[in-house]
Amino acid sequence: MDQVVGPKYGSRGGAGKAYNQSFAREVYRNVDSGEEIKMCMQCGVCAASCPLKEKMDFSPRKIFTLIRAGQREKVLSSQAIMLCTSCYSCKVRCPRKVPVVDVMHGLAHYALRQGYKPRAETALFGQKFWGNIYRLGRIDEKDVALRYFLGHGLGQGIKLMMENKNMGIGMLWYKRMKILPERPIKNVKSLRKMLDKAKAMGKGGAV
Amino acid sequence: MDKKLGVYICTGCGIGESLDIDALKKVASKEFKAPVCKTHSWLCGTEGVEMIKADVAGDGVNTLSIVACSPRVKYDVFDFGPVLMDRVNIREQVAWVLPAGDEDTQMMAEDNMRMGLVKLNKSTPPEPYQAENLSKTVLVVGGGFAGMNAAVGAAQAGYPVLLVEKEANLGGFMNKMNKRIRPPYKELKPVDLEDQIKKVEAEPNIKIFTSAQIEKIAGGPGVFDVTISQNGSSTTERVGSVIQATGWKPYDANKLEHLGYGKFPNVITNVQMEEMAKNGKITRPSDGKEAKNVLFIQCAGSRDENHLAYCSSVCCLVSLKQATYVKEQDPEAAVYILYKDIRTPHQSEDFYRKVQKDGGIFIRGELNAISEDGNKNLSVEASDALLNETIQLEELDLVVLAVGMVPTSIDETALNLDYRQGPGLPVNKYGFPDSNFICFPYETQRTGIYTAGCVRSPMETAICAEDATGAALKTIQCIESTAIGSSTFPRSGDMTYPEFMMSRCTQCKRCTEECPFGAINEDEKANPLPNLTRCRRCGTCMGACPERIISFKNYSVDMIGSMIKGIEVPDADDEKPRVIALICENDAYPALDMAGINRIPIDPFYRFISVRCLGSVNLVWIADALAKGIDGVILLGCRKGDDYQCHFIKGSELANTRMEKISETLGRLALEPERVRVEEISINDYDRLPVILNDFMARIKELEPNPYKGF
Repeated sequence: MDQVVGPKYGSRGGAGKAYNQSFAREVYRNVDSGEEIKMCMQCGVCAASCPLKEKMDFSPRKIFTLIRAGQREKVLSSQAIMLCTSCYSCKVRCPRKVPVVDVMHGLAHYALRQGYKPRAETALFGQKFWGNIYRLGRIDEKDVALRYFLGHGLGQGIKLMMENKNMGIGMLWYKRMKILPERPIKNVKSLRKMLDKAKAMGKGGAV
Repeated sequence: MDKKLGVYICTGCGIGESLDIDALKKVASKEFKAPVCKTHSWLCGTEGVEMIKADVAGDGVNTLSIVACSPRVKYDVFDFGPVLMDRVNIREQVAWVLPAGDEDTQMMAEDNMRMGLVKLNKSTPPEPYQAENLSKTVLVVGGGFAGMNAAVGAAQAGYPVLLVEKEANLGGFMNKMNKRIRPPYKELKPVDLEDQIKKVEAEPNIKIFTSAQIEKIAGGPGVFDVTISQNGSSTTERVGSVIQATGWKPYDANKLEHLGYGKFPNVITNVQMEEMAKNGKITRPSDGKEAKNVLFIQCAGSRDENHLAYCSSVCCLVSLKQATYVKEQDPEAAVYILYKDIRTPHQSEDFYRKVQKDGGIFIRGELNAISEDGNKNLSVEASDALLNETIQLEELDLVVLAVGMVPTSIDETALNLDYRQGPGLPVNKYGFPDSNFICFPYETQRTGIYTAGCVRSPMETAICAEDATGAALKTIQCIESTAIGSSTFPRSGDMTYPEFMMSRCTQCKRCTEECPFGAINEDEKANPLPNLTRCRRCGTCMGACPERIISFKNYSVDMIGSMIKGIEVPDADDEKPRVIALICENDAYPALDMAGINRIPIDPFYRFISVRCLGSVNLVWIADALAKGIDGVILLGCRKGDDYQCHFIKGSELANTRMEKISETLGRLALEPERVRVEEISINDYDRLPVILNDFMARIKELEPNPYKGF
């Protein structure tokens, strides 16, 4: 029989979640800037700096400690990794120079690749936005919106379009949006080459 | 010496506008018959100082009273060589805080002057105490890293050193060390003990005693007689000053059963881990297999009220070092560090970063339970403070307890002092030899004996080296001060010393018991045997002596008593009470000065008398003052108790105890006990000080005037 000492008698493999390093190693290997989280000393400056902290289920700090504790499911299905708006407050303030923004985006992409969709809406919008950039080298607002709405299916798409009709007209009126389609930037093929190369160099996350 | 008194009154800084200077001059010339009495509008200027210098050189003035600003300022300007001098403060205490031209303002300035002139009357020029056969040798007890560094430091400064080590080899704990972390804290470094020892052995000024112990240390600074026993024989050497560098021992892990120590073979201490690493492989003690999963438990017993309440400051670095051993043995090994706070001060933070980069897993939290399976694998349940969850660490090969440092001084008296107050250095509640650690961290409570290294405070080797050098410098300060007959510290440069009029001694033992520094031994008939080079000149013995037989050349019971008697006490009908404030010159006086600089009004009925320490306050002064018609006495000194700030350790505490007993005296005089009060004040309490004074004065005014006025 196992001998147990301590103020609280825990049974082996019982009360707590077992620490294991396999998920941490997976992140170090597959996520952009993933290895940098080793340097996190859990001070919480990122959490305190984050404007979206209130909306997040886990702060960046806690995401990192969950990774180190091996809690794969929690991290990859977390809302927080999809919520980062790239304000860079955390990255600028991190005393250990952890590129928090990059890690959060890297984790989001990795989660999507692994079949997790913590915030499907956000992911869909991001994909359409990025598709626009890749195709045109710029954003065509009506094109992004159209593709995003139709991404929900035809019926839902038309409903969303009708809901947002007034905003679209307003933007046209104030010349924030053109009626004609945007043309690609000059030499958009060179931009695509650069983006392709950047993608090949990274670990699968878009920039 | 025939005294020729010269009184110099400054009228600058607003003094002239505030006071009637002619009346002040009359006090000097009429009441004290001063042959020279001059004023100047800028006494500290070149012209003023030259005027005084000319009088000293040409006119034979050898007793100077400078009636101007606080003695804490301009002391470099008012320096006239070996003459008797006293500074009367009529600026910070009078002109800057009391209404100009007021009768009470003038009275206070005149009384301050009277007290200063009485003080000069009662003083004689100090003659330094010259001990015979002074030695300039430094004794270093303990040949570990700190001891060796201290020895080399003192030797290279030109002082002979005796280095005494109880083991057969020098090096102390370093003999057990595998690797060292030292600046720049980027990677592990070799211990290099051989080089250290060679450096000591090559130093011609150092005489090494190994396998040796201190049998006895008698005497005092400059004249310590040290008996060293070695190989069954003993020799006696005279030394000037002593460094104790006897180091530390690990906290007893047998008290850490809740962490599994002693129950499970694979739970070891960081010291055992270090020895294992030095001997080769890091393995499981149960079966000798290589350790692949290692957990370090930080603060094992440290920062815990039930074990060691303090932080040993090195255990974090040690665990980071030992984590690196594990990673170097097998980069795939898992290293967990369960911590409360990682404390890697200054540049050693770089080493923390290195271990993080190498893949060390840091878990902030506390162990709940530890258990063992049939294969002696350990399993730990902990509460993770950052996840706010209970977590489990499985299949651990080794658990290392990062135990803290305990000073050897906690239960060993390596010095065997032949002091009436015991053979060891007095220690604080954690066992470290203590003194006023806020102001004088190097000092112990035994003059001329300093501690260095981990016996003084837990520290890593790099800091140990600095600490040892500092202690070596302190010994040199002590040796050189003693050689010229000066007090060492904190009254550096004080040439006076207590003199005992033995014919009137009643062998009551108060001085021998109460001296905070053990300076006074006793003979078999309880006669005090002062060791004057041990003395710090606080005057606690003078305050203790009921027969008033202990005096300094410029500080005595008679002198302060006469100053009190010199104060003019108006009749009760005048409604001008008089209260004496005996203020400690270390903290309370500067605080009063600061109140003056900030022009915070004080009550004009106070008369301030600066004392070396509240410990030197003799009860007879209080009795004299009250018998003369003074309405109250307030004592202002440093904080007492566990976190005392008294510069002489026990002075303020002793004063407090003595004052508690004074009600008897007051009863005999039929006076209210509220007339005497003791207050604690620290140097930065300048804003609180006037409040305390006003509060006490209000209480005194509520009482009837002292009925002894006019007697």
